[in-house]
Amino acid sequence: MPAKVEMRNLGFFYGGRRALKDVSASFPANTISAIIGPSGCGKSTLLRTVNGIYELYPGQRAEGEILIDGEAVNSKRYSRARLRRNVGMVFQKPTPFVLSIFENIAFPVRHYERLSRREMDERVEAALTQAALWDEVKDKLKRSALTLSGGQQQRLCIARTLAVRPEVLLLDEPTSALDPISTAKIEDLLTQLARQLTVLIVTHNLQQAARISHKVIFMLEGEVIEAGDREELFVNPRDSRTSDYVTGRFG
Amino acid sequence: MNAIIVRRQMVNALVLVAATLSTAFGLAWLAWILWTTASKGAAALRPALFTQMTPPPGAAGGLLNAFAGSFAMIVMAIVIGTPVGVLAGTYLAEFARKTGAGAVIRFVNDILLSAPSIVIGLFVYQLAVRPFGHFSGYAGAIALAMILLPVVVRTSDEALQLVPDPMREAAVALGLPRWKITTKVVYRAASTGIVTGILLAVARISGETAPLLFTALNNQYWTSDLSGPVANIPVVIFQYALSPYDSWHALAWAGALIVTIFVLALGIVTRIALRQRHRHG
Repeated sequence: MPAKVEMRNLGFFYGGRRALKDVSASFPANTISAIIGPSGCGKSTLLRTVNGIYELYPGQRAEGEILIDGEAVNSKRYSRARLRRNVGMVFQKPTPFVLSIFENIAFPVRHYERLSRREMDERVEAALTQAALWDEVKDKLKRSALTLSGGQQQRLCIARTLAVRPEVLLLDEPTSALDPISTAKIEDLLTQLARQLTVLIVTHNLQQAARISHKVIFMLEGEVIEAGDREELFVNPRDSRTSDYVTGRFG
Repeated sequence: MNAIIVRRQMVNALVLVAATLSTAFGLAWLAWILWTTASKGAAALRPALFTQMTPPPGAAGGLLNAFAGSFAMIVMAIVIGTPVGVLAGTYLAEFARKTGAGAVIRFVNDILLSAPSIVIGLFVYQLAVRPFGHFSGYAGAIALAMILLPVVVRTSDEALQLVPDPMREAAVALGLPRWKITTKVVYRAASTGIVTGILLAVARISGETAPLLFTALNNQYWTSDLSGPVANIPVVIFQYALSPYDSWHALAWAGALIVTIFVLALGIVTRIALRQRHRHG
């Protein structure tokens, strides 16, 4: 399977501090790739290089190559707007905008496309259905997004991201702040979405990685220690540090 | 062990009592002021207050021209000061949060914030009264705007900084441009804070007297021309309270009561309206 997202010799710096050391990794299309490792190993840092969101902060910089579909996306020549339309991101804490449920989704779509009223209604419904939220909110689309529960807000954020039709979805510990039922709903959702998108998920939760991922990348102290298929990595890891981490000897 | 715990509980009780008494002390003064204003002002509360002009000594009258003048100058001050203040606060919170320039601007803003209002009045006198040779409502509005501005800058800056960064990041991750993020995402999230700040500033300028003494002065009559002296509540209260006439005293108290109620109503109405908005989007 061709790599959808790829990193080659990626280094990352927070000011003078090196957080990623010469990382090379590839993430196949239409799969869920889980990035696991103990706190501070650089998982979120790695994820955030893919859509260039680190560029918001002066002093943070990436060296090396980050490729999507073979094109270098961290070069000055690649349009940021195009990158961010193509790559969606969901954060650990739900981040709904202070707008109605409908507007949360319509507003970003409106930035990219001029849709008629009916087309927008359909787009919003499609996004909410994809995020398994439509039935719960279809009667209250005009209500503020803040009236939703945590799990619903997170699914709204996923719907919002999906509405602009990205090809890659980045999730940074998306369920760590949610209850088990919401977590299960979102995990089912991701499994479905992987048929159309490429999903990269950073997770602290080894059981979650074991449940839903196809490929797993294990990181430690800014380096990729091992990468492979889920079964391989969990049952038969090549590196002793990997087996120590997945068996819970440290973490 | 027991003795330590007992001692700790005693200290706790003592400090609790001290804190409660201090609060009661502060509130007592406030209650007394409000009570005095209400009882003395209520005596002069008649419909004539809002329909008649300020009277000559000894005669009955109202405060209509003073209310109108104050209202006009406050609205003008809001129109002048609020856009500048909110935009400056936006610059500070979105582009200069930790920079040296930001620190300097905040410092200078704080100085302007705590500048005595009479100094501002004198400055505007020099700038907008002397060159034209007469007092004016416009000069009064400018002076009030200069008192309103630093409050709005500071409260907008703080309200915008309170918006969590992940919300901004989520908007960036969707590919939205900076200006759309600031206006539709960040402003919406900070709206309560910003509006509260504007209201605080309005409450502050509603009662400012010293700057108006140098700029709008006062006017016995009704005028719809703001380029001359304009009647206003604070100066009328000042003038009438120090006079020897009882009818003027009553009007001064009534004016003070109305201003107090106005500021209170401002605060309550806006809080309610914004709370509703947050609940129903």
